[in-house]
Amino acid sequence: MRDKIVYVLGCIALAILAWNTYTIAFLPEETRQGVVFKIIFYHVPVALTAMCCSMVALVASVLFLITKRFIFDALAVAVTEVGLAFLAANLVTGSIWGRQIWGIWWTWDARLTSALVCWLLYAGYLMLRKAIEEPTQRATFAAVFSIFAFMDVPIVIFSIKWWRTQHPAPVFWSGGSFPPDWTRHFLWNMLAMVLLGVVMTTVRFGQEQVQREIDSLRREAHAL
Amino acid sequence: MLLLLAQITTDDLQREALRLQHDYQFLTYGLVAAWVILAAYVMMMVGREKKLKKEIANLRAMLEDRR
Repeated sequence: MRDKIVYVLGCIALAILAWNTYTIAFLPEETRQGVVFKIIFYHVPVALTAMCCSMVALVASVLFLITKRFIFDALAVAVTEVGLAFLAANLVTGSIWGRQIWGIWWTWDARLTSALVCWLLYAGYLMLRKAIEEPTQRATFAAVFSIFAFMDVPIVIFSIKWWRTQHPAPVFWSGGSFPPDWTRHFLWNMLAMVLLGVVMTTVRFGQEQVQREIDSLRREAHAL
Repeated sequence: MLLLLAQITTDDLQREALRLQHDYQFLTYGLVAAWVILAAYVMMMVGREKKLKKEIANLRAMLEDRR
C-alpha cells in the first residue's frame, strides 16, 4: 500500500513538472537576461529542496544522538543522499546559466563556493559511512558529522546578503524583482520538486531498512 | 515608430536570431542537465533495490536450508 502511494505521488510530481514546463515555455522573455532566465524555475526549487533535505538530516541526526534509534539514522542517510542529488542539479544548472549570462562556467564567489563546500561535506558524510563497519559507531560518527556539515547551510542561504557576490541578489524576498504573475509557475515547480524529494527519500529509506534486515540475517546466518 | 523600424538592418535581425538560438540552447542544456542528474540517481536506486531484493531472498533461502 505504501509503495503504491509513493509511486502515485511520484507520478503526480512528474505530471506537474511536465505540465509546468509546457506552460513556462510560453512565458515571455525576461527583459535583461532573455529566455535563459527561465532556468530559475528549476535552479531555485532544486536548491530549496536540497536545503529542506539538509534540515531533515540535521533533525534526524540530533534525534539519533538523543534516542539511539536506528530509524533516525536511516532517515538521515536517505535524506542526505537525495539532497546531494538535488544540490548537484542546482550547481550544474547554475553553472550553465552563468556561462550564458556571465560568460564563465564558474567563479569562486561566496554563494557558489559555499554551495560547493556544502555538496562536498555531504558527499564526505556518505563516504564516512562507507568507511566505518560497526553500525552504532557508524551512525554516531555520521550524526555528529551531519550536524557539523549543516553549519554550512546558513552560510549558503545568507551569503548573498552577507557579502557582495557575483551571484544575483534575492529575487523573491528583500524587494526582489521576480515578476508576480510568474510566481504561480515557480510555486508549482517548487511543490513538484519537494514531492519528488519526498518520494525519493521514502524509497531510499525503505532500502536502508531492507539493508538493516540483511545485516541482521547475515549475523543470524553467522551464528548458526 | 516607422523611423525606428527603418533603422533595423538584416544584420540586427540575424544577431537577434542568433542570440535567441543561443539562449534556448543554454536553457535546454540546463533542463537536460537537471533531469539527467535526477534520472541517474533514480536509476541508481532502482539498481540498488534489485540487488537488495536478490540478496535478502538468497539469505532467507540459506537460513531455511541451515535450519
